[in-house]
Amino acid sequence: MSMETAEKSLKMSEGVVGTSIDFETFHKKSHFWGRLTIWSVILLTLMVPLYLSFGLGFHPGWVIILSGFAAYASIVAFVWIVEPISYYPVLGVSGTYLAFLTGNIGSMCLPCASVAQSVVGAEPGTKKGEITATLAIAAASITNAVILLFVILGGSYLLTLLPASVTSAFKFVLPAIFGAVIAQFAIQKPIWGIVGIAFGLFVNLGPVPRAFQTFLCILGTIIVCMLLEKMKAQKAQK
Amino acid sequence: MEQVLQLANSFPLWIFALLVVSVVIFQALMFIRLCTKASSSVGMTSAEVRSAIRAGAISSFGPTLAIVFVALSLMTLIGDPMTLMRIAIIGSAAIETVGASLGAKAAGVDLGSPDFTAQAFTAAVWVMCLGGMGWLLFTALFTKSLGKIQEKAAAKSNNVTVLKSISLAAMIGAFSYLGGSEMVKGMQQSIVLVVAFIVMPIIMSIANKLHLNWLKEWSLGLVIVIGLFVGYFIS
Repeated sequence: MSMETAEKSLKMSEGVVGTSIDFETFHKKSHFWGRLTIWSVILLTLMVPLYLSFGLGFHPGWVIILSGFAAYASIVAFVWIVEPISYYPVLGVSGTYLAFLTGNIGSMCLPCASVAQSVVGAEPGTKKGEITATLAIAAASITNAVILLFVILGGSYLLTLLPASVTSAFKFVLPAIFGAVIAQFAIQKPIWGIVGIAFGLFVNLGPVPRAFQTFLCILGTIIVCMLLEKMKAQKAQK
Repeated sequence: MEQVLQLANSFPLWIFALLVVSVVIFQALMFIRLCTKASSSVGMTSAEVRSAIRAGAISSFGPTLAIVFVALSLMTLIGDPMTLMRIAIIGSAAIETVGASLGAKAAGVDLGSPDFTAQAFTAAVWVMCLGGMGWLLFTALFTKSLGKIQEKAAAKSNNVTVLKSISLAAMIGAFSYLGGSEMVKGMQQSIVLVVAFIVMPIIMSIANKLHLNWLKEWSLGLVIVIGLFVGYFIS
């Protein structure tokens, strides 16, 4: 279905004779439309919590919001900058705007782009490669959004049909996600994962004030892992 | 909790979510138009344009289904419209779950617990929205100058490796804190976490050995299913 829409818009643009543009203009227009769409999503996503806080009066207080945000930022802030920079060579200007709005870059956008490039026979990093990647990511983004929309509309109905014994098992979703993600990060260095989990248990069980738990766990894991690296390097020298 | 889910599934939130999804779809259609117009200048035929679009749409099926599976579990925690909105942009359901948990925890309750209040839900939404904005702001502000930044960063490749392993350890520490807070809830949660911690690398190494890319895409969804089954049978 999404493909039809995509192809429809394709035919629409083909129908307009003499509108072909050069690569420079393409980049200029990409900057314009990319920024416009991303800024509108930024505004929209700000309006939701503002509406909950002040429209409906469920404001939890800035201290709570900021401490939650600080904890989250300590996990992802580095990624905010590293991801766009490291994916830029593959995605190009237009691909960057698309991929970072729709998300799932590693798991969806990049694989789709590279499949399309090998189908068309375009080298990554070239102009043709960028256009191919952008087309593929755009099509993937539409497919993703449309499927998600339908599943969520139907899925919430499905969830009401499930017996309570099954829905109560959903409490195991979080431990499963966290266990899997720790293992995925620690796949080269499993010992780092075990160090992390040990710290995680310690700060949750030990007499550590809640406000410092996240920070202490992250800092402790970093220090022990770096020490382990140093010891390994020293052993290798001997 | 019931009250919160009523709020979380209320009409105005659906409007916001649908608006965000329409911007995402609009952007994609706009770029398909731009690419089509520019295609002849880089020597692409319209058959190639069509096949690139087809390849993208088909390859996105696997990842999308895997994403959908995680999204279904997020729906029980933060409601349908917020799930739609958060997964349609940024997209990593795992990361969004973390943002929501941290927001709720800052408000003093656990995500999905019986005493999850409207304030805690609002805190979770704030943290998810502010946290996700980092990528959007960076992309909106700096895509133009990314080329230059890239050259500079690559010049000091030594810094990059140290920063990379620190950030890796930080990631592990952060997720371990969240994992630890699940483990202290009970033996069952601890077993599920350990099972997931062991099963994930097994799936990844099978996928790598047999070159099964789809298995990698499905890995997290699969681990969640296994975790649910293990949890269901030991409780």
